[in-house]
Amino acid sequence: MTDSLLAKSIDKILEKTEKEILANLENSFSNTKQTLDDSIPKLEQEFDKIISDGKKEADKIEKQIIGSSDLEVRNKHLLTLEIAIDKVFTKALDQIANTTRSGDYSNLMNTLLDESTKILSTTKVIVSTNSKDKDLVQSLLSKYPGAELSSQTINCLGGVIVKSKDGAMKFDNTLDARIQRMKPLIRKEIATKFGVGN
Amino acid sequence: MAAKGRIVWVSGPAVKADGMSDAKMYETVVVGNSKLVGEVIRLTGDVAFIQVYESTSGLKPGEPVVGTGNPLSVLLGPGIIGQIYDGIQRPLKELSKASGSFIGRGITTTPVDMIKKYHFVPTVSNGDNVAAGNVIGTVQETDLIVHSIMVPPDHPGGKISNMVSEGDYNLETVLATTEKDGEKISLKMYHRWPVRKPRPYQNRYDPTVPLLTGQRVIDTFFPIAKGGTGSIPGAFGTGKTVTLHQIAKWADSQVVVYIGCGERGNEMTEVLVEFPHLKDPRSGKPLMDRTVLVANTSNMPVAAREASIYTGVTIAEYYRDMGYDVVLVADSTSRWAESLREMSGRLEEMPAEEGYPSYLASRLAEFYERAGRVRAIGSPDRDGSVTLVGAVSPSGGDFTEPVTTHTMRFIKTFWALDAKLAYSRHYPSINWMNSYSGYLGDIAKWWGENINSDWLSLRSEAYGVLQREDTLKEIVRLLGPEALPDEEKLILEVARMIKIGLLQQNSFDDVDTYCSPQKQYKLLKLLVEFYRRGQQALKEGASLADIRAMSIVTTLLKARMDIKDTEMSKLDQLDIDMKEQFKSIIGVKVTN
Amino acid sequence: MTAKGGVQYSKIAEIKGPLVVVDDVENAAFDELVEIETKEGERRLGKVLEVGNGKAIVQVFEGTTGLSISGTSAKFVGKLMEMPVSKEVLGRVFDGLGRPKDGLPDPIADKFIDINGEPMNPEQREYPKDFIQTGVSVIDGMITLVRGQKLPIFSGSGMSHNILAAQIARQANVVGTKDDFAVVFAAIGVQYSEAEYFRRSLEESGALKRSVLFLNTADDPAIERIITPRVALTVAEYLAFDLGMHVLVILTDMTNYAEALREISAAREEVPGRKGYPGYLYTDLSTIYERAGKLNGRKGSVTQVPILSMPSDDITHPIPDLTGYITEGQVVLGRDLFRQGVYPPINILMSLSRLMKDGIGAGSTREDHSEISNQVYDAYSRAQEVRALAGIVGKAGLTDIDLKYMDVGDVFEKEFLTQATDENRTIEETLTILWKIVSKLPKNEITKIKDKYVDQYYQEN
Repeated sequence: MTDSLLAKSIDKILEKTEKEILANLENSFSNTKQTLDDSIPKLEQEFDKIISDGKKEADKIEKQIIGSSDLEVRNKHLLTLEIAIDKVFTKALDQIANTTRSGDYSNLMNTLLDESTKILSTTKVIVSTNSKDKDLVQSLLSKYPGAELSSQTINCLGGVIVKSKDGAMKFDNTLDARIQRMKPLIRKEIATKFGVGN
Repeated sequence: MAAKGRIVWVSGPAVKADGMSDAKMYETVVVGNSKLVGEVIRLTGDVAFIQVYESTSGLKPGEPVVGTGNPLSVLLGPGIIGQIYDGIQRPLKELSKASGSFIGRGITTTPVDMIKKYHFVPTVSNGDNVAAGNVIGTVQETDLIVHSIMVPPDHPGGKISNMVSEGDYNLETVLATTEKDGEKISLKMYHRWPVRKPRPYQNRYDPTVPLLTGQRVIDTFFPIAKGGTGSIPGAFGTGKTVTLHQIAKWADSQVVVYIGCGERGNEMTEVLVEFPHLKDPRSGKPLMDRTVLVANTSNMPVAAREASIYTGVTIAEYYRDMGYDVVLVADSTSRWAESLREMSGRLEEMPAEEGYPSYLASRLAEFYERAGRVRAIGSPDRDGSVTLVGAVSPSGGDFTEPVTTHTMRFIKTFWALDAKLAYSRHYPSINWMNSYSGYLGDIAKWWGENINSDWLSLRSEAYGVLQREDTLKEIVRLLGPEALPDEEKLILEVARMIKIGLLQQNSFDDVDTYCSPQKQYKLLKLLVEFYRRGQQALKEGASLADIRAMSIVTTLLKARMDIKDTEMSKLDQLDIDMKEQFKSIIGVKVTN
Repeated sequence: MTAKGGVQYSKIAEIKGPLVVVDDVENAAFDELVEIETKEGERRLGKVLEVGNGKAIVQVFEGTTGLSISGTSAKFVGKLMEMPVSKEVLGRVFDGLGRPKDGLPDPIADKFIDINGEPMNPEQREYPKDFIQTGVSVIDGMITLVRGQKLPIFSGSGMSHNILAAQIARQANVVGTKDDFAVVFAAIGVQYSEAEYFRRSLEESGALKRSVLFLNTADDPAIERIITPRVALTVAEYLAFDLGMHVLVILTDMTNYAEALREISAAREEVPGRKGYPGYLYTDLSTIYERAGKLNGRKGSVTQVPILSMPSDDITHPIPDLTGYITEGQVVLGRDLFRQGVYPPINILMSLSRLMKDGIGAGSTREDHSEISNQVYDAYSRAQEVRALAGIVGKAGLTDIDLKYMDVGDVFEKEFLTQATDENRTIEETLTILWKIVSKLPKNEITKIKDKYVDQYYQEN
C-alpha cells in the first residue's frame, strides 16, 4: 500500500522532470564525449614523442589513454544519472511530506501499526511519530491493548517507530525507513526510465 | 506416529528441535519451511539433534521439523548404474532440472526412473517358496549388467503367487506376491535398505584372487585382492586422484562405485566426460555402463558428505549380492572424517586427537569391514565381492596424523604416495619402500596358475634390487657414485631401469595407461634377466660402461610405451636381442 | 528485497572479539544479515552465526571496537547478505564488503545476489580445457592454465607474486577468440601499495575498464576479509554466467582470509584443528575455491588465481596444504630462485597444473607439448640432483652426461624461466626454448618423447 503510494508520487514527478533530466544527461554526455575527443590529439602527440622508444610502450600508453577516457566518460555518466535520481527522490519525499492526512493516509497508518505489532508479536508497545501525525496515531491506538503514544515526537516524513515496553525490541516503520529500504529498486526504476541500466 | 517438532537452535549444518520425543535415532526428518533433509543423530529428552544434508542459510527457530519414520536409506533397483548421485542418493541430473546449474534446496526426486520399463525374465514360478536374498528374476540393466531382482534381505520369505510372465515392466509394477502365515507382501523390482546397516551374506571367503588394475606398481609389487581393503594416502599433488581414476577405469571388476567425498567438482565432471568414451578392456563396452558415481564435492553440505560413504558402500553391497565383483573407491576418507569432526564439534563432544571424535577409529573399522568376498544369501548360489579402496589426505603429508594411522590398522594394502617422487615426475608416485601389501602370499597361487610359476620369485628379486639401491643411495649421497664398485653400480643402474621401465606408468599415454598381467610379467622378467646377465657379464670381464652403452637399455625403458598388449612377441624378441648384446660385450671370452 | 524491515534488538548479552551475542531474539535466521547500530548512530554490518533459545550470535564484519553493551542495537534485516550487480560494476572500485570506494554511487542493480553462492552441480559443469596463453613461458609451457581452472600461487613474504599475478592479468588471453573477458581483483588484507600496484598495472594496460576491484587493505577491518572474496566471486559469477564473459579472479592474500576465520573460531571457543585453525577450514576454503569453472550451455567462465603467502615458506602449513587439496594444482615460488634475482621465481618441480593435460596438444598448443614438458621436468629434476652431487664431489667428479644435465639446468633458468615483467611470449616461442633445453642432451637420454617429434624438433648442435 505504501509502496504504491510512493510509486504514484514518483511517476508523477518523473513525468515532470524527465525532459529536464534527459537534457542534463545529454549535455553531460556531450561534455564527456568532448573529453575523449580532446584526448585524441593529446594521444597523437604522446604517440609521436615516444615512437622512437618502441612500439610496445606506445601501445601501452594508447591503451591506457583510451581505457581511462572510456572510463571517465562512463563515470561522469553514472554521476549525472545519480544527480537525476536524487532530484526525483527529493521531489518525491517533498510530495509525501506534504500529502494531506486524508482517509487513505489513515488506512496506511493503520497498516503500518498492524505490521509493526505483528512483527514484534506484542501490542504492549510505545509508538513514536512526528508532530503532524500525532493525533491520527493516538486515535488509532485504541485498537492495540497496552499500546501508548510516546510523549516525544520524532522527525520523519510519516509513519511510526514502535518499541516494546521493555525497550529490548524496536521496529522502524517510518516512511523514511521504508523508502530507504526500497531505494535500490526505485533507483533501478528511475534509471530504466532514462534508458540506462538493464 | 511421525515426530512433529519445532526448531529451537541453528548453527551451520546442526539443528536442534524440541517436541521430538517420538523421533528415533538415525531417522530421516524434514526440516523447516523449505523442507530440507536431515537425520537425527542424538536424542536428549524431547530434543533431537539433527544433521541437515542441505544448506541451512535462512533457517529460523520456530520452523517445523517432521519425522519420516524411516532411517536414511537408499533405493536399490535397476537404473542405478551410470548415475551420478549426491551424498543422499539424489540424482544430480534431476536436481539440475529443478534448480539449473547450481544446486538448490528442498528438492525431492527419486533415485532412479520409476517409469522406465525393463525386460523382466522370471526365474521362479508360482508356488515356489522363496527366502530372503533369493533371485526371482533378472533384467538387463546396461549392456554389461544383468540385474538380479532379489527378495529383500529383511523379507520373511514365503510362497510365490501372482508371478508376472516375462515382459516389460517398470519399477512400481508388482512382480509377484509372497505369502507366509497369512501375510502377503508384494515384490517389486526395487527395495530400500538403510545405509548404515551392512547387507547380510552367508559366509566370507579368503581373498585369493587378485584385483587386477593394469597398474604395474600395484599388480606386480603391491597387489590388492578382490574383497580386500586398500588405502592410498598422499599429500596434495602426489597424483592420488589420477591413481584412483586409473583403478576405477581399469580394475577387472564388473561394477565400480566411485565416491567423490568432499573433493573437487571438476574431478567428478572429468569422470562423467571421460568414462562414457573409454572402453572396458575386457568387454569393449563404455566404462560408464558399469560405473556409479556418488558426488558430494567439498563445497556441498558437509553432513551429506558423511552420508555419501554409506550410500556408496550400500550400493556396492547390493551389486555384490547379485554375484558381481565390485570396486568401491572413496576419495577421500579424510574429508569424511572431517565431516564427522565438524558434527562432533557442534555436538560439543569431547574431542580426541586433533579434534576428531573418539569414535573415528571404530567408524573407520566398520566401513572397511564392509569389504569382502562372500557367498550371498538366498538361491541360486552367487559369489561376489566388494573391494574397498580409500584415499587419505593427510594434512601436511604427515602419515602420523589420526586418519592415516587409524586407517592403517584396518586395511591390508597400503600405497604410500610420495611428494618427492611426484616432484621428480615419477608417477604413480607410490613409494616402494613405504608401501606394503598383505595379500602377496594369498594371491601368488593365482599368478602361478594363470601367468607363470616364477612370478613371486621374480618379484622378490626385483624388489631386492630396489631395497639394495635404497641403502646404496645413502653412500652415494655421501661419497658420490664413483666410490662404488661396478657390481653395486649395476644395482643402481638396474634400479633406475626398474623405476623408469616398470614402476613408472603414464596414465595419459594410450598404450601405457593399462598393462595386462601378461605384459607386466614379461617386463618384470626382462628386467630381472637384465640384472642376472649384467652380473654375469661383469664377472666375465665386461665393464659397467659397456653395459650402459648397450642400445637395449633405452629399448627396455621405452618398451612399456612402445609395445602394445597385443604385441607380446615383440617382448620375446627383446629378450633375444638382450642376450645378443650381452654376448657382444663379453666378446670372445664367452663360451655359451 | 522488500520494503519490510527487520526488528532492532537492543539487549546485548556479550561482546567478545568479533562477536556480539544478542539476547531475547525472537525472529532471526541462520546466516541472516545484521545491522549493528552503535550508541553514536554508526552502522556496521554482520551476520548470524548461530541462533536459538532466544539468543543470536552475530559476527560483526567491521569489528566490535567501540561497541558497548548498552546503547548498541542489532537489526536483523530479514535477508542474507547480497551484492547488487550489473554490467556497470566494471571499472569500479569497492571496499571489502562490496560498497563503492571510488566516490561513485551504488551500482544500479540488475540483480541482488546472495554472496555465498550455491554449489555448482558437478553434473552441470563443463570440463575446462581451453588453453589460456599468459605469455609467461614457465606457466604456458610447464604449468598450463586453462579457462575455469583454480590455480593458486604459493608464495612467501616479500616475493614477487603480485608482479606475476599482475602480469598474468594483463597478458592472459585465449588465442584465437574474441570473447569478452574481465578481471576481478580482491585485495584481502594486503598493503595499500600492493593493491595500488595492481590497479595501476591494470590501468596502464587499459584493462581497468573491464576490471572490478575489491579492496580490503591491511588497515581495514580484519573480519571484513571473510566477505571480500565472496562478494568478488559473486560479481565474477554474474559477469561469467549471466553476461557470458571470461573472468579471471585474483584473490590476494588468502592467508589473511584464513587468519580472520581463525579469529572468529577462537572467539567462539571452538575446538581447533591444526595450528589453531578451525577444523572446517578445508570446507570453508572450498566454498571459495570451488566457485571457479565453466557450466554446460553457458558461455562464460570463472578462472581463479588465488595468492597466498606460506608462513615461514612452509608448504605443509594448513593454509597452503588445504588449498592445495582443493585447487587444481599450484604455482610455487622458490625462495632460492628469488634470492638469485630470477623472475618469475617459480619452482617447477613443486608446481603443477592438474588440468594441463586437457588444455594442451594438437589443436590448442602443439602436439609435442605434453611430451616435451615431461622431458624437461625430468631433465630439470636430474639437473638438481647433479647440482647436489657436484656440491659434494666437485665438478671434476661428474661424468660427461652429468655435465650436460648441469647445462640443462642453467639454460632452463636463464633462458626459459627468466623473463621480463612486460615480456609476452607466444606459445611457439615458449616451445622453441623448451626444445633448446632438451637439445642439450644426447638423443638417447630422451626417453619421454616419441621419435617422430624428436626428429622434427630436436636442435642439432
